[in-house]
Amino acid sequence: MSSEASIPAVRFRKVGKRFPGTIALEGVSFEVMPGSCHAIMGENGAGKSTLGKILAGILRPDGGTIEIDGVEREFHSPIDAQRAGVAIVHQELSFCPNLSVAENVCLAHLPGHAGRVDWRKLHKNAQIYLDQVGVDCDVREELSGLSGGQTQMVQIAAALATGARILVMDEPTSSLSAVEAQRLEELIARLRRQGTTILYVSHRMDEIFRLCDTVTVMRDGQHLATSPLAQTNEEELVKLMIGRCWQKIFPVHVERAAGAERLRVKHFSSPGKFQDINFAIRAGEVLGVAGLVGSGRSEVALGIFGLDPKVSGQVVIDGCKVNPNSPQEAMKWGIGLVSEDRKSQGLVLGMECGENITLSTLDRLSRGGVIRRRKERDVIVTFFEKLCIKAASPQAPAQSLSGGNQQKLVLAKWLARESRVLILDEPTRGVDIGAKAEIHRLIDELAAAGCAVLMVSSDLPEVLNLSTRVIVMRNGRLAGRLDRSEATAAGVLKLMTGCGEENLAGLPPLAANRMSLSCKPTNLLS
Amino acid sequence: MQTDQPIVMTSEPVEPVKRVLTFRRPRFKETGLVGVLVALGFLLSIFGGSLQIPNRETGESVKVNKFLRADNLDRLAKNTSFFAIMAVGATFVIITGGIDLSVGAIYCLAAVCGAMFLTRFGPHGAGAGASPFWVVPGGVLVCLGVGAGCGFLNGLGVVGLRVHSFVITLGTMAIYRGIAFVLTKAQAYTDFPEQFTDGFIRREINWHGASLYPVPLTIMIGVTAFAWWYLKHSVTGRQIFAVGGNEQASLFSGLPVSWVKVKVYTFSGLTAGIAAMIMLGYYGSASSDAGKGYELDVIAAAVVGGASLAGGRGTALGALLGALIIQVINNGIIILNIDQNYSQIIIGAVIVLAVLLDRINHTLRDKRLTRAA
Repeated sequence: MSSEASIPAVRFRKVGKRFPGTIALEGVSFEVMPGSCHAIMGENGAGKSTLGKILAGILRPDGGTIEIDGVEREFHSPIDAQRAGVAIVHQELSFCPNLSVAENVCLAHLPGHAGRVDWRKLHKNAQIYLDQVGVDCDVREELSGLSGGQTQMVQIAAALATGARILVMDEPTSSLSAVEAQRLEELIARLRRQGTTILYVSHRMDEIFRLCDTVTVMRDGQHLATSPLAQTNEEELVKLMIGRCWQKIFPVHVERAAGAERLRVKHFSSPGKFQDINFAIRAGEVLGVAGLVGSGRSEVALGIFGLDPKVSGQVVIDGCKVNPNSPQEAMKWGIGLVSEDRKSQGLVLGMECGENITLSTLDRLSRGGVIRRRKERDVIVTFFEKLCIKAASPQAPAQSLSGGNQQKLVLAKWLARESRVLILDEPTRGVDIGAKAEIHRLIDELAAAGCAVLMVSSDLPEVLNLSTRVIVMRNGRLAGRLDRSEATAAGVLKLMTGCGEENLAGLPPLAANRMSLSCKPTNLLS
Repeated sequence: MQTDQPIVMTSEPVEPVKRVLTFRRPRFKETGLVGVLVALGFLLSIFGGSLQIPNRETGESVKVNKFLRADNLDRLAKNTSFFAIMAVGATFVIITGGIDLSVGAIYCLAAVCGAMFLTRFGPHGAGAGASPFWVVPGGVLVCLGVGAGCGFLNGLGVVGLRVHSFVITLGTMAIYRGIAFVLTKAQAYTDFPEQFTDGFIRREINWHGASLYPVPLTIMIGVTAFAWWYLKHSVTGRQIFAVGGNEQASLFSGLPVSWVKVKVYTFSGLTAGIAAMIMLGYYGSASSDAGKGYELDVIAAAVVGGASLAGGRGTALGALLGALIIQVINNGIIILNIDQNYSQIIIGAVIVLAVLLDRINHTLRDKRLTRAA
């Protein structure tokens, strides 16, 4: 047993992956021991999911090798990976909702002869795996009739049905209820006893400490550290995931007097998304919105921008009731939205960078429906220089830019429109540190110039560092409001999660926090 | 050529050099299509052989190239004009990521309506003797109006019912053709005022002894030039590309996405109306089976011309060249005395080949971009 344990179940060697515009992984090397539950942690965009997809054969690495049980393997498709005993449970549910539960579970290996499906055997097999994960449903039912949590468990059953010995779980609990999460934990414990190796991608601390034995921390596509969980603690992990030299890179907040009230939201509700949200932002203020994914933060942003037809309540701008019901109307009142997902909502990737910047401003840059080229180019040049956008040329397609520069394009689009109320949803997700600092400086400048900024972010230090005030959302409701002076990482986290305060009590308040985050985070673990 | 070198960026800034942003004239995208066209023409001129025809003025027999002679090229241009004009319209729709299967039916309905109007005011119609100064523009207006109206309804259907354009236009294709059947009671209309036919669309000029009909060619060039300018320089043109490139991002950027879509379907219908007008004037007749199956030829022309069915890509000139290439191949099959039955096989192969080459070209470009990042 011990001699077997010395060969790692999975060994990554200098694995790299590039997408047009971004480096997702760079020289990632680490080992996963057989029978362990190995946590992979990191911020959004750190490359965790990409790594999981490469291991499961969905993506092909640009460089490096993967060894399974000491044998170097090259996966051309998920089927290759399944043959080698690797299966993945996706973060995004990827299934055939129009097929029955049983078919989904056994999709890779439908039992039968000569192209004919043996339905009885199929249903029996599926039931075995479903019982194993503990889902209570009819195997003949269409998958679309199940709840999100049940679907997730069915997906795990399907992964088990492939006979996987190595299981990649990408944020498996993000769509599960507390009871289902509990069942999943029991299942994972059972699987480990049976000798299954589990790669557990998550950023939920409590889960990882309960379930896993080893942790790997990633940041910006690079492997930072791998360590037994017993030798570390939450605080250290948090610092590793986000740890940077704050004083050096990020602007120190300057107190400034707030102006007149710009945006007020009263009794803002949308059925099933958020309820009774009230807040106000004055000119020159940055209002940070903290909350877990799914707490309704982004939905509020969309609601203000007129993209949710079901909202009720009031949106008041400069004292006028506006209640926009389309983005065009919101824009008329000077609202701009930098949305969460810049690739699908922010940019037309195939178009030129410059064209993306002026996309929302064409009405002002045209006469009689004809674009005035010279005027347009002046605007493009202005914002390329102002935001230091790095591109081969303003005419290069937006997809050729790095994540940070793409984000700057989206910002430039709204700056070009001279938005007075700017809603930023995850403004620095998947952005490299340099660009992140520049974007932070820009947000600060914008506020100083009299813009009212509403900033939704999962990045807690970002919220604490930039915001004048912070509101916290939990389960679609306002969980608390904090002034800058009262906002601490511990306090905000407590409001976000509504529990776990005893674990976080040790975190220092913001001012000390900024100083204590070390410049050399790797030293903490090794 | 030095200016074409990509700007290489090092990870460490050596010294803060203020870069001058330069705007270059965009690359001519249709070089490949023009090349194919020239090559085809060249081959047909050489291998097409020659023909003995009597000279009209002197009565002597002269030897002319089968392909490269004025009336063959003129016929080629006329045959191309219907498809090219509609392909330009279809390209607009395809750029937004949609498809218009009803162009053939709109073409037919517009032609039938125009024919009924013109027959009424024709030499033997109820309104005979009406002034051609309003009958001719009236006929034009009926064709264009019916075309644009049908297209507008397509647009409303796509936007209002939120059904994929394939389904909507599949339905309207049958509806419009059905209306044409009902209106005509399956009879052909042929009795048009000659101011509309010989005096307008079929106006003849003599050039070195050959009779040429330059009006269809002129309209085709005019439509293409307008569409090219519109896509490049108008606000709506830019928005058409944005909607096709990323509809959600366009919505999030506050573009009038629905309105843009209605506009492109209307334009597609309008081009079908224009093509119908040319057909009426040139052939002097219309019936309810005009334009059967044209929708696929039109989409084929747009696709050969580089429009991507995934949306976001396509040019007006490409559509024209795509239609021209298909017609030249058709023409070549006749000139080279190849069995007519092979023509479909050849054209089909050309379409697949064109799309394949286009994709290879794009894969290479994406690779280049990834490396540059």
